[in-house]
Amino acid sequence: MNQEINQSLFLLGSSHQVADLAARERISLPPDSIDEFYNGLGKIEGLDEYLLLNTCNRTEIYGAAQKSFSFDSLGKYLSNFRKLDPDFLSQHSYQRNDHEVVDHLFKVTSGIDSQMVGETEILGQVKKAYEDACQRKAAGKMLNRLFQKGFQAAKWARTNTGISRGQVNLGNVLCELARRIFGKVSNCRLLVVGAGEVAESTIEAFKSRGSQAITVTGRTFDWCPLCRNKPAELAEKFGGFALSFEQFKESMHLFDVILTSTASGKSLVDYGDIKKSMKKRPSQPLFLIDASVPRNIEEKVSQIENVFLYNMDDVSTIANENLKSRISEVDRCKGALARRAVKLWEQMTQTREIS
Amino acid sequence: MNFNDARDLMWIAGGLYGSAFLLGFLKTFRLNWSPLNEAPLAGIIIGFLLHTRALYLRGLEIHGCPLGNTLERIQFILWSLILTFLILRLLWRLDLLGSFCAGLSFGAGWLTLILPNTDPMYWLAPDYQKLFSNPWIELHASIAIFSYGVFSLLAIVSGMYLIQRKALLSRKFDKLGSFLPPINDLEVACWRLLSVGVIFLTISILVGGMHWTRHPEFVSSIKLAVTILLWLGYSVVFFLHLTSRIYGSKFAKISIILFLLAIGSLALVNSKNREDAKQEIIPVKSSELSS
Repeated sequence: MNQEINQSLFLLGSSHQVADLAARERISLPPDSIDEFYNGLGKIEGLDEYLLLNTCNRTEIYGAAQKSFSFDSLGKYLSNFRKLDPDFLSQHSYQRNDHEVVDHLFKVTSGIDSQMVGETEILGQVKKAYEDACQRKAAGKMLNRLFQKGFQAAKWARTNTGISRGQVNLGNVLCELARRIFGKVSNCRLLVVGAGEVAESTIEAFKSRGSQAITVTGRTFDWCPLCRNKPAELAEKFGGFALSFEQFKESMHLFDVILTSTASGKSLVDYGDIKKSMKKRPSQPLFLIDASVPRNIEEKVSQIENVFLYNMDDVSTIANENLKSRISEVDRCKGALARRAVKLWEQMTQTREIS
Repeated sequence: MNFNDARDLMWIAGGLYGSAFLLGFLKTFRLNWSPLNEAPLAGIIIGFLLHTRALYLRGLEIHGCPLGNTLERIQFILWSLILTFLILRLLWRLDLLGSFCAGLSFGAGWLTLILPNTDPMYWLAPDYQKLFSNPWIELHASIAIFSYGVFSLLAIVSGMYLIQRKALLSRKFDKLGSFLPPINDLEVACWRLLSVGVIFLTISILVGGMHWTRHPEFVSSIKLAVTILLWLGYSVVFFLHLTSRIYGSKFAKISIILFLLAIGSLALVNSKNREDAKQEIIPVKSSELSS
């Protein structure tokens, strides 16, 4: 015999889908106010379970409540808490009910709803939010099941569809290429020549993958050795090493990945330099990235065995192709997740009574 | 299909390897069908079990290690290849390598079954005598064929290296390349496989050499030359790589070429049978007697 549960799921949220950065900043909860917010949630009538997901791109409140529960009370609470005009909040937020909540959460955990489709960081953020709610005893039977299934759905989507395949961010594309050459990015020794945005994005991507041996060099070392300059600042920011620009050519054989990103307007590394370096590491590959325009690395070096040279055009082409292949997978993933969501909702609303 | 017939079992095993190859590539390219997940490995394992039974039945039929004709030698090498892969698979998840191994085993296995004259029934000849009556020769032959299996795996990994290298040098998004292991890992794997293969081949030659010194009449000069040349070829590549004088794509290409030469020379490394050996011995003995 089947018995219907007298509880419903709901979601009130705001994300990059409906709100621009300025609006999201106003709605987002400061970290030091989370405790107070949770305390207030617990006092809303009819609200049995609740969970807050608060990231830079989304603020969402998931809950389980009696059928009689009204969204208005929650919207009112959030707008009062953040001192927002209720109309502003309704313009920049969305509401979901029951199986729509399941469907939405599946999309969030799998990265389909993320600004950079297929990114994996969101799963960790959702897990953290769920753990937080569990510790506060705010999540009960309904939310526990919902989120556990959400994590499973994320795993399924990443394993069985190509939504996370290929990287679209420059630093991530370079890390992916480094992985295809060396395996573990964390073992790669990176040398960055220059200190622009590309350099910073690359260092950040390598650092986030556990790379410890990061070295930065730049011409500004020689111009002003006594004052603080960008390469030194960059090295310090990411816990890397600074290398004198005059010495970097002599040390190139010590690095696995070399990125040049300078505005020097001339070739800094030629065929002879790389040939000389490779003699000291013949069987180890060398990954060169020339992110400068005009180029800093002579094109001919790609003819040397075990040298893989990429310029900005190559990296952009890969990023764009990755994006295309990912978009085609998103629709397939959305459909499959929606079917899983409906199935779960049916299971959640019907409990089997063993007589 | 007769499950007590060696050739029938080889056909089925080949078919299973072929299915594993196909499913492995479908899985690699993320076709959304969950039964695909374990199907390629299951296909390889079932194929390997049937393959083992096929070789066992053939061994019973000929009263020895089945290495008497081209089909048997190729099938034994493919069996060694799959065995090596399955041992490695216990340590690492190497699904794509499994697909490559299954593909080679399917292609080469069925080819030897389709081509005429690869499987003469030499054991039915009235003068057929059990060739490997000496267990040391059995050991020599099986270790040698196992080393061929390792070298075939080396050739496959070298092929994967060249595919990955081409994908990286083309500087474009490459679907197959993104599923292959890192190029550095592939080169390390090639080096390790070469080392293992050279060690086994050396042991096999040492064991065979002991037999040769006692009964040189059983070993033709062609077999001796081909075996030594092959061993020298792999050993030279081994030392050149060890001293960093050959590496990267050249190392991979030479490994593939050496393997093709090894397979091509298989027909030449068969030992003489007793009758042929006797015919060579008798004139010598009679001349000795007359003198």
